[in-house]
Amino acid sequence: MGPIFALEMKKNLQDRGLLFWMLILPIIFTVLFIAVFTTGVDASTRQQVTTSIVPGYAVMFVFFIMISMVSTFIKDRDLGMTARIASTPLSPYLYLMGKWLTYMSIVLIQMIILFLFGKLVYNVSLEQPVLLFILALFLAFTATGLGLALAVLVKTDNMGLAITQIIGLGGALLSGLWIPIDMMPDFMQSIAHFLPHYWAHQAFQDAMNGTLLYSNLFQTLLILFGFGFVGFIIALLRYPHFLKLARG
Amino acid sequence: MLTIQNVTKNYGKRTALKQVSFTIPKGSCYGFVGPNGAGKSTLLKILASIIQDYKGEITFSKQINNSNRKKQIGYVPQEICLEQTLSAYSNLYFFGKLYGLKGKALQLRASEVLQDIGLTERAKDKVIHFSGGMKRRLNIGCALMHQPKLIIMDEPTVGIDPQSRAFIFEMIKQLKQDNCTIIYASHYMEEVEQLCDEVTFIDQGEIVEKGMVDDLLQKYAVPSIFIKVSDTLPNNLKQFGTLSKSKGGYLLTTETPLRAMEAALHVYQDDADKLERLELVQPSLEEVFFSLTGSQLRD
Repeated sequence: MGPIFALEMKKNLQDRGLLFWMLILPIIFTVLFIAVFTTGVDASTRQQVTTSIVPGYAVMFVFFIMISMVSTFIKDRDLGMTARIASTPLSPYLYLMGKWLTYMSIVLIQMIILFLFGKLVYNVSLEQPVLLFILALFLAFTATGLGLALAVLVKTDNMGLAITQIIGLGGALLSGLWIPIDMMPDFMQSIAHFLPHYWAHQAFQDAMNGTLLYSNLFQTLLILFGFGFVGFIIALLRYPHFLKLARG
Repeated sequence: MLTIQNVTKNYGKRTALKQVSFTIPKGSCYGFVGPNGAGKSTLLKILASIIQDYKGEITFSKQINNSNRKKQIGYVPQEICLEQTLSAYSNLYFFGKLYGLKGKALQLRASEVLQDIGLTERAKDKVIHFSGGMKRRLNIGCALMHQPKLIIMDEPTVGIDPQSRAFIFEMIKQLKQDNCTIIYASHYMEEVEQLCDEVTFIDQGEIVEKGMVDDLLQKYAVPSIFIKVSDTLPNNLKQFGTLSKSKGGYLLTTETPLRAMEAALHVYQDDADKLERLELVQPSLEEVFFSLTGSQLRD
């Protein structure tokens, strides 16, 4: 598993496309939307807006890791790398784990950077940093678990891209990541409760303000873990079929 | 080294391999020849443990024990399976690690392989900037990192320049000298003829014929002579065999090529200018395959 992790990390760190999706684009969105929503407002409202937008875009763009996950799995499958690795002593499941751990790490690094950016540029509060880290860890599991499932389910890159857009953008819209959830219609607020984006966003805001209760934390972690776990199980069940395709 | 008995592989209703059996002796270079889609790659993937759902039996010699079989087999796929954005050295390092090499031994081995494949000067360059031939050499190098006893090569020279092909041939000859067993699949007959001791012809998933290259040439390939003249061909040559038009001249397929040549020379001994070309055509594996299957190699 170690060689796969090291290789994937090296590849991804050199990938400027990934850097754009995971860091540059969320920072641009954050800056732009904070500028739009805080023009002419008082300090208290400004603080409220930044505390919503910084974690909002962090949560939204976390799900974009699924694009890279789909791309790497499809590329390895189609170019014969998966088959070649199957001829080595490395177990196919360690190959899967090696890839997954890489993307878990990338998402964690992404969230740390985005929250640090919020702190340094907008001076957002990070009152409960340990809880924020735990939430980030569980959200990384959710996004990469779903990403893993998608990567072994879809047949083409484009299909993966389309589904990621639906999960990333659709989830963000419905979960109040773009506009405050209170301003959305009742039925949309109800839908939000079924999405991991909403729970992560709410918990992040509470932890930033230092008001996240342990009961709420555990509830959120359970929900995030549930989504990730379902994705992970789908991935494990579908993986033999993926391998069969890859091996010819 | 390796015995394959009644191996059958189906993809749904399509049979890719049907009751394939043969034995590969230790230290030999064993060729698989057949058109695209004949089942060569499927067979090699089975031997490399990539495809595991097949019927039949594969027995390795004691030299390759089952518990660490993969560590003793090197597989060179038909596709160029390299990380294009990484350097040649990084690719070799990665595959070395997959086979359990570590630390100094791994670094040393990567440097040795770079030298063997002629890429020492380009070790730090990204693969994406390499020529097709260099990528092919690196593709082979990755399979040699762990010094396997059995090397399985699936069309390792597809789409490369003559220089790189010659380089790869030299590498393979060196591996043979080092007592490695090589399984070499190709649809280029002349490569197999040049490199392999034994050959198996495979078409539509079935073995058509197998044996020593020289024996097969002796058994199936009928020699012929090529003759090109500036006027009409003399009638007396027809008695030696079958005449057919070929490349602006005539191909005379005959069991007695030297006699036929002698006859041709006799006809034109007083008028040598009219005889433009007269040559003995060596029988080739392609002709053997043609005579066995009734079809030429499909590309």
